[in-house]
Amino acid sequence: MYFRYITVIMVFAHLQSLFAEKQDTSSVTILKEVTVMGSYGRDIDREITLPVAVADKKFLTEHFRGNIMQTLEYVGGVRSMDIGSGFSKPMIRGMGFNRIAVVENGIKHEGQQWGSDHGLEIDAFAVDRVVIRKGPSSLLFGSDAMGGVIEIQTPKTPLENLFYGEVSILGKSVNETFAESVMMGLKRGVYNVKFRFTSQDYGDYKIPADTVVYLTQRMTVDNRKLKNTAGLERDASILMEYEKGRHSGNITISNTFQKSGFFTGAHGVPDATRLRDDGDNRNIDLPYSTVNHLKITAQRQLKNDNFAITWNLGYQNNRRKELSIFHTHYGNQAAPTENPDLELYFSLVTLDMAMKSEWLPCDRLKHSFGWDVQGQDNNIAGYSFLLPEFKRFSAGVFYLASFKMTDKLTFDGGLRVNYGKIKLSGYSDIYLSDYLYRRGYPDSVTDEYRWRGYPVERAFSDLAASFGLIWQANDYGLLKVNLGRSFRMPGANELSSNGVHHSAFRHEQGTPVLDSEKGWQADVAYTFQNDGIGLSLSPFFNLFENYIYLKPTGLWSLLPHAGQIYLYTGARAVFTGAEAELNIDFTKKMTYHFAGEYVYTHNLDENTPMSFSPPASIRNSLILRHGNIRLSAELQSIATQNRVSKNEDPTKGTNLIHLSATLITALARVSLSVYNLTDNAYYNHLSFYRKAQIPEPGRNVQLLINIPLKRKMK
Amino acid sequence: MRTIIFTCFCMLSCLALTITGCKDESDTQKPVINLIEPVEGDVIKIGSEHGVHFEAEFSDNEALASYKISVHPNFDGHQHAILRSGAVDFEFDKSWLLYDDDNPEPKNVSVHHHEIKVPEDATPGAYHLMVYCTDKAGNQSYLALNVVLSHEGDDDDGHDDED
Repeated sequence: MYFRYITVIMVFAHLQSLFAEKQDTSSVTILKEVTVMGSYGRDIDREITLPVAVADKKFLTEHFRGNIMQTLEYVGGVRSMDIGSGFSKPMIRGMGFNRIAVVENGIKHEGQQWGSDHGLEIDAFAVDRVVIRKGPSSLLFGSDAMGGVIEIQTPKTPLENLFYGEVSILGKSVNETFAESVMMGLKRGVYNVKFRFTSQDYGDYKIPADTVVYLTQRMTVDNRKLKNTAGLERDASILMEYEKGRHSGNITISNTFQKSGFFTGAHGVPDATRLRDDGDNRNIDLPYSTVNHLKITAQRQLKNDNFAITWNLGYQNNRRKELSIFHTHYGNQAAPTENPDLELYFSLVTLDMAMKSEWLPCDRLKHSFGWDVQGQDNNIAGYSFLLPEFKRFSAGVFYLASFKMTDKLTFDGGLRVNYGKIKLSGYSDIYLSDYLYRRGYPDSVTDEYRWRGYPVERAFSDLAASFGLIWQANDYGLLKVNLGRSFRMPGANELSSNGVHHSAFRHEQGTPVLDSEKGWQADVAYTFQNDGIGLSLSPFFNLFENYIYLKPTGLWSLLPHAGQIYLYTGARAVFTGAEAELNIDFTKKMTYHFAGEYVYTHNLDENTPMSFSPPASIRNSLILRHGNIRLSAELQSIATQNRVSKNEDPTKGTNLIHLSATLITALARVSLSVYNLTDNAYYNHLSFYRKAQIPEPGRNVQLLINIPLKRKMK
Repeated sequence: MRTIIFTCFCMLSCLALTITGCKDESDTQKPVINLIEPVEGDVIKIGSEHGVHFEAEFSDNEALASYKISVHPNFDGHQHAILRSGAVDFEFDKSWLLYDDDNPEPKNVSVHHHEIKVPEDATPGAYHLMVYCTDKAGNQSYLALNVVLSHEGDDDDGHDDED
């Protein structure tokens, strides 16, 4: 452990002396970069009829949390669904799981996003620029982009020949995180190569509570630390770029490895004895999960004055393992001889191919045309079962036209035709059928239950469309309206699962005849920008005629550890709400920022709210800048969420105070922050651990040091 | 143009308001289980003819539907492993309706029975006893108890003497 710390400090000292002489140039370049990216954000806002937010390098650094989703929570309408302190996945305007696409270098990130204990496998340090599209994006991004897109873009290539780099160090008190990331790049002539390595280690996280309640049993938490929530992350990536005249292209290879313990108090049936402190808050004991995500993407672009064509290729392999001491619910299964503790294993291989072309026959008209194809193959192993093996294929063609009627008014409209096919292998559980036979159930019952995954073969044809306008009323105001028709193909779990979900502790049953999710989505975004004042309002209204959710059936399951059966069912549903943001520069040195968001969900068939409705929240912050010092104070208010679906608990609101101080010098950027200053105990309605009544991490002191490196080359 | 856009904006806001205005939501309140017997840590006598004394009160804000009792082994802290020779692991799963034709929408039901009978050949050890209850809307609540199956337990009907 210490060896690695010492190595990093040595690398530091070495690099500092190397670049000390270049102080002046680097500080100037940093400032230049910030302005460039700020205007880029505004440009893209004027091009896309949907509400968009751009998180540039400056924004990402100022809100850095070591986890990309927790950083993006500062964007209005975006929420992070957390699993403990390490893993998170995105939610936009109340839609999560497979309804949000995360796109990196033009390729959709494909992990196990259907799963409730899945986290996004992306190196937070490696993210330089994110464009967030809030609202229906099926037209351009296909199925799974119904609720929005988190588009991680490759950073702008330096213009001049340069050796550049960055060393970042992150420390967090709440779970004793130590993370380091080293980036080095070389731009020479038409080539640019960049390498990054990131390592994160964290211990069990602290909660401001002495007990948790899990499956009705109150259990003591020793030393206010959640046992076995420690974890680690190792990421490496390389980017190779080429740009010469009309041609440009890149290849990226990245590998993300995450390992994280499951809190023993919320895994399996409660047992207080397994919660006793083992004296080591950094060990990762059974049960735990590991994920390894390998991604190779390639992009090639040909650009003329009025014509551009882009190809994308992607290969991904997501391997997720869950390990837990061998156990069976049926008493007749012997432990496997190989990997006896491997409970679940999924290996998902995804291949993507896409082409997009843009043609501007005149100043006022732009045609975009594209197609994309995706193939997936999921393989499984382990002594337990959750999701069957499947093969999935989807292909789509889209056309989008953009017409600039006047200098101030632009219309756009488009259509996508999509075809998808899924073949699920089915999985018959011999141990379960034997168990039911021994319990004396008739064959008809055994036959119904033994299929833990139904063999299903389905094809889906879908249509996506959108129509929108952008109206630049004057120099200050910008109004955007978008109406979209979107879709999502049902997932493997929604079509085929039949059995107890080991972490949700309920019998979840798929419906093989489910139709695609479909809906109409209307969005309006208004932004006003004048000297010192910025205002943005973005209301939305979504109406789905088929929204897939887990419906409690009231029928008892025969499986051990299960209550009633929950069935994946389509319903008519409404999602509506708004985000509001206000920015006032009182003086050149003092800025006030307000951000608020609200989502209302309603299941029109059940006449209840939908589950995981994000509670209303407000952020009030004051930022002071003086010379190279930046101070900020924030009051985050989260409302009580009483609008819950059946079998979901209401969550009480809270007020949190966050403070931050940053010193920016030519040599380094040092930022010290305190989150949840008053150590409030509160629950996150969207957290995986909410069910177990485990409060969110307590007070967290975070230190972030970024050391930029830059050396011009001849 | 300005008016068209303004109208769009207003219509969207109105639509949002009308939907948000409908507070006519169906029941999301869970039923309540008040389990009187058995209690946490109880020892249950193997082979007792009286059966386990089960006594509970169920209540709901609208209408109770059903309850289920499930008993299963917890020999090594949930991690039930390997087959044991001789003795048979005791498993019990049964559900009952809480309504009938006379009382189709009951709000309070008291239950008392001795239907859980542990046979002579049951494996002694730690077990879980879970009680689930649903209302007619599909809201579910449950309780989990740790109980011990033993040959040494009291061989009476589980009732207190003054009963």
